[in-house]
Amino acid sequence: MIWIKNGIVVDPKNKINAEKMDIFVKDGKIVAERDVKKEDCKVIDASGKLVVAGGVDMHAHIAGSKINTGRTMRPEEMRVVRNIAGKFRAAVGRVLLTAPAIGYEYAKMGYTTSFEAAQPPIGALHTHEELDAIPMIDKGALPVFGNWHLVFKCIEEKNLEKLKALVAWAIERTKGFGVKVVNPGGVEAWMYGGNVKNLDDQVPGFSVTPREIITWLIKANEELGLPHSVHLHCNNLGVPGNYQTTIESIKLAKGFSNPKRQVLHVTHVQFNSYAGSSWRDAASGAAEIAKVVNSMENVTIDMGAAIFGHATAMTGDAPFQFSLHKLIGARWSNKDTEVETGAGIVPIGYLPSNPVHSLQWAIGLELGLLVDSNKVVLTTDYPNGGPFTEYPYVMAMLMSKKMREGELKKVHQYVQKATTLPSIETEKTLYEVIHMTRSLPAKVLGLENKGHLGIGADADIAIYNLNPLETDFSNEFEKVYKSFKTAEYTIKGGEIIAKNGELLKEVFGKTYWVDARKRVDLEAVIPDVKNYFNYYSVQLGNYGVEERWLKNPSRIEVV
Amino acid sequence: MLILRPKGEFEVCVEAELTPELAMRSVEEVKKFKVYYGNRVVELGELFEVVKEGEEKKLVLDGNFSRVKWIGARMVDGEIIVKGSVGANCGAFMRGGKIIVEGNADDWLGTEMAGGEIVVKGNARNLVGCAYYGDAVGMTAGKIVIEGNAGNYIGEKMNGGEIIIKGNAGDFVGTEMRAGVIEIHGSCGFVGGDMRGGEIRIKGSFDLLPTFKKTEKGFVGDVNVKGEGVIKTL
Repeated sequence: MIWIKNGIVVDPKNKINAEKMDIFVKDGKIVAERDVKKEDCKVIDASGKLVVAGGVDMHAHIAGSKINTGRTMRPEEMRVVRNIAGKFRAAVGRVLLTAPAIGYEYAKMGYTTSFEAAQPPIGALHTHEELDAIPMIDKGALPVFGNWHLVFKCIEEKNLEKLKALVAWAIERTKGFGVKVVNPGGVEAWMYGGNVKNLDDQVPGFSVTPREIITWLIKANEELGLPHSVHLHCNNLGVPGNYQTTIESIKLAKGFSNPKRQVLHVTHVQFNSYAGSSWRDAASGAAEIAKVVNSMENVTIDMGAAIFGHATAMTGDAPFQFSLHKLIGARWSNKDTEVETGAGIVPIGYLPSNPVHSLQWAIGLELGLLVDSNKVVLTTDYPNGGPFTEYPYVMAMLMSKKMREGELKKVHQYVQKATTLPSIETEKTLYEVIHMTRSLPAKVLGLENKGHLGIGADADIAIYNLNPLETDFSNEFEKVYKSFKTAEYTIKGGEIIAKNGELLKEVFGKTYWVDARKRVDLEAVIPDVKNYFNYYSVQLGNYGVEERWLKNPSRIEVV
Repeated sequence: MLILRPKGEFEVCVEAELTPELAMRSVEEVKKFKVYYGNRVVELGELFEVVKEGEEKKLVLDGNFSRVKWIGARMVDGEIIVKGSVGANCGAFMRGGKIIVEGNADDWLGTEMAGGEIVVKGNARNLVGCAYYGDAVGMTAGKIVIEGNAGNYIGEKMNGGEIIIKGNAGDFVGTEMRAGVIEIHGSCGFVGGDMRGGEIRIKGSFDLLPTFKKTEKGFVGDVNVKGEGVIKTL
């Protein structure tokens, strides 16, 4: 039992804005005062300190084939030693961290949940083995659907029942959490060396279009009532002029509604917000995208902010990775082309002196500032835009115009005319930023017990040495950045796991997975699946992940 | 001048960035210098006898240092004389000064060095003057002289400086080389794959890839990467 005394609580979900109050923890949950015996509690004096829920990262590449290939092809990333083996495991990595390092670094920063954003269905076991190796945090994985032949087949047949059954079957088999769609149709075209250019291009070998893939998957996802919506990585990622494709894709959510959450989440939008016709005249399309997102009630996005320094581009969007490799001349690895998806990995570094990188940096921030705080989640699409350990930088930037002015002086002045960032006056409040990093991602994912400090919530709590009542967020940005970088206390499931950047205890969080089998008749798709498996490299009986193989599974049943 | 002598045979490798800078410290300080012995951190004095003679910025390693890694790594000036063989990564990242090895050198000699000189009187193994895995450029300046033979991957990704091998070398000399000079007085295997620039001079026989064009200057290539490197006989 823990008693967090006199902390200054910011809890957007429960509409608490910087109020001095006590928080009580028992059996891994947040409970009411009357439910604890105060004399048995470990007391944490949080006077003058900020108490918030543990951070939730809803889109990061933390496990599975891509990050592993990234590690293999970037030995130079493994020279930063973060922890020497002893009480805790050895942890290394600069931006591409090893599995233990991922857990430890999140914990030190006050983050307690992170979701792997793209899991190839056949690679599910690998992904889960690796998620199981990540300590400290709760996790989940989103299997990819946008380029799977079986999905195309259901859509070609216009058979929604079959598609629903397929989604429910695949999510159960992969112990996945939701429906991820990466460059729908484009990655299939990549199998023939191509890509799709707009939403109405036909996918080679199938009579479906990206527009149909997205719409049908939203339809299936909504009828199944999964906790998370369709999670879309748009077509034309990384291509100047792509903001129009992004807007068109966002508008596909029209006509769908869900009282609990959005019906479409568009991810790492920064990489999909470029105007212009080439990198010579590229500009920001963030303002237009923000207008559209703000006007729609059923769409959320995440930033995918770019941070100066080292990063590694790794997405399921194989054709984009190839063009990136051609553009910058860096190493390239093509992955997963033989499975239900594709992927590519390219090392990249964002330099302030480079006009394109500066543009990307500015667009990420523009999205964070221009989109309603209730619709934009803070991410860097780790490790594509940069390390998650720099989230505090983005948080501080959103809250301080002065900090942005200082940073704008250091970057390529191309951003002055190509983006609206220099003219944005908005300063997000602490309440909004806490929402963007805690309660909003939890809501977007459909995790009711995460991202807030109400009674019954999971006891994932971060305490920062920052008094919101006495801090001038516009001017004291350095202090804000430093405070958010290292949590004074990180509590996970009711246990203190890190204190002032020191790890105290290694815990293993849950792996959430969604079971929607009761919502469908699996027989609708099983004959097709069986037929399909005549051509697979594994047998149907060996496909997927059994629940008992996971270290700490947590099933969310949709009924 | 500081003299170090191993107290016995090492069961596992020692990792010690021994530089001439140590000669500027007192014997007591040197004895407390932290080094890795396998996975344990130990004091230098536990593994080596330490003798100091005069104030010269010079380090003499007397004995078999073939299991001691990182000798002279990151050194900027002064001199190291090894009266025996050295372990891997000798002279890595060095920026100045001189290392003389009277015995043989192990892999990764002078990796990514940016100045200074290394002389090996015996043989060297693989990856002399190259880049560590994942890095874009290897040796950028300085000079490495090997009086015996050398192994494979000499001067891989080299971007300046000079490597002279008096004996023979193995395969893949100057792979992805961008600038600088490699001189081989004996024979070697395949040369200059994906070479973009720089010069390789060879006295003996060597294997040439078909991606080099014969010109007045010598063989120019590698045309696969539109390279302008030159391979010629010495």
